[in-house]
Amino acid sequence: MEINIREYKGGKVIEVLGEIDLYSSPLLRNQLMFFVKKKESLLIVDFGGVSYIDSSGIATFVEGLKGVMSFGGKMKMFGLRPAIMEIFSFSKLDKVFDIYGTIEDACNS
Amino acid sequence: MTTEPAITVSEKYLHDIKRKLSDYETLINVSSIISSTLKLDDLMNLVMEKAKQELDAEACSILFYNKDTDKLEFEVALCSEDCASDILKKKIVLDMGQGIAGWVAVNLKPLVINDVSSDSRFFADADKLTGFITKSIIAVPLVGRGGLIGVAELINPRKTDYDIEVFNILCGQFAIAIENALFHREVVEQEKLKQELDIAAALQKSFLPELPVFGKGNVLVSAVNIPAKQVGGDLYDFIVTSDDKIGVFIGDVSGKGVSGALYMAKIISDFRYIAMQSDSPGIAFNRLNAMLTNAPRGMFLTAVYIIADVNTGELRAAVAGHPPFLRISNEGVYVEDLLGAPPIGILPVEYPLTIMHLKKGDRLLIFTDGVYEAKNKDGFRIGFDAFVDFVSKNKDEENLIKMVTDYVESFSEGVERADDITLLEVKWLG
Repeated sequence: MEINIREYKGGKVIEVLGEIDLYSSPLLRNQLMFFVKKKESLLIVDFGGVSYIDSSGIATFVEGLKGVMSFGGKMKMFGLRPAIMEIFSFSKLDKVFDIYGTIEDACNS
Repeated sequence: MTTEPAITVSEKYLHDIKRKLSDYETLINVSSIISSTLKLDDLMNLVMEKAKQELDAEACSILFYNKDTDKLEFEVALCSEDCASDILKKKIVLDMGQGIAGWVAVNLKPLVINDVSSDSRFFADADKLTGFITKSIIAVPLVGRGGLIGVAELINPRKTDYDIEVFNILCGQFAIAIENALFHREVVEQEKLKQELDIAAALQKSFLPELPVFGKGNVLVSAVNIPAKQVGGDLYDFIVTSDDKIGVFIGDVSGKGVSGALYMAKIISDFRYIAMQSDSPGIAFNRLNAMLTNAPRGMFLTAVYIIADVNTGELRAAVAGHPPFLRISNEGVYVEDLLGAPPIGILPVEYPLTIMHLKKGDRLLIFTDGVYEAKNKDGFRIGFDAFVDFVSKNKDEENLIKMVTDYVESFSEGVERADDITLLEVKWLG
């Protein structure tokens, strides 16, 4: 798994590439918790390069979401491939996370 | 009769020979100490005590290089005052390049300083904290096969007639012995951990129903649970909620290993308590969710809870972020994606209730995502749709869950299983 960070319209875009699982999620957690500690008000997760996510990966995003919500921040996701979207919809997590098709949709909502 | 020719040697020559003999003796002594133990603490204390004696030093220490922090930390400090040793171990951490030890660690060269007060590299804070007065230092890098291990220091050696090269050779041997002892400690710790995990796995198994088959009235439930690691995060339970009803529960805790297992143990005990107080799966999930909302590290539980009437075949079900299950009837295999709510432990939500009816010959196959997310050695996963196809083709098999388990295991043959596999089959015999 690889993580790249960039700025977009005042938000921090976290681009994740590869598989998010038990072994790689601690790295993602460090990054998310770093932004939570800094009270970044808008985190936008680019899922375009994510080929798989397991429950540890989802738990990491749940922790990140709870973290940003604690200071009124937002976490949005975009670019989920159909297989990843299926994981989110099976688990009804599409009702928990703000999920969009494109980065523009995520920023304009 | 012949006489040996007399040889005359200088005093200095004799002195040098004596010193070399003494050095060899020291080398042999230290080598025997080094090979006498694999216990890291014993090894370091014995060697450093011997070095301290040989050079009649007031104190000595070993700083270990911490690769994660890129800093040097005191591991051993032998001095007359125990409290000084404690202060060094607890309070002093050196950056690479900081102080004499830091310089030696960066340059990987020994350093002999007869008067530290005239050397700008000397780090005086340690003396300020301990009250010890450092006058001179011998510092040698400890370099093993895997690179820098740390730095050994002798403080205020009263004997000055020593050979730094001999000291360097000794430290080379010492470094390899430390590496061996560290490796030994790791092996011992891994073995200890494995034993602990074996106990945890046995304990975890004891939380699940004693027998994987349970029947009451017209309902027969069978289960298979294969953890990915020794301890897993999947769970299931059968529970008699009243004379004519049984509850069937399956869950998947986010995360695996020890954290998943501990969370699973808490959940199963909370669930059993709640399930005995309510005959509605929706209400049971609402209560369980309220108890688990502050789970650490975003941990959550996906679950299905079904209460079946063993006389009528009526099922009342609640789903918490769990994958759909399959209903197998004479006509075909149907994906039951019931109205549900997100996993338990994330948000305060209400879990809806769905009512279904089983007909003669109907079966439910409820499973965790580890079943269809199993990966083969080419990196491909079974996938939900392909899994449903497999079940459809084999729906009339008597021992369907065994067949599915074999299929998943043969699909992922040669690959370490990343997730637990749990399957429950609910048969309506009426």
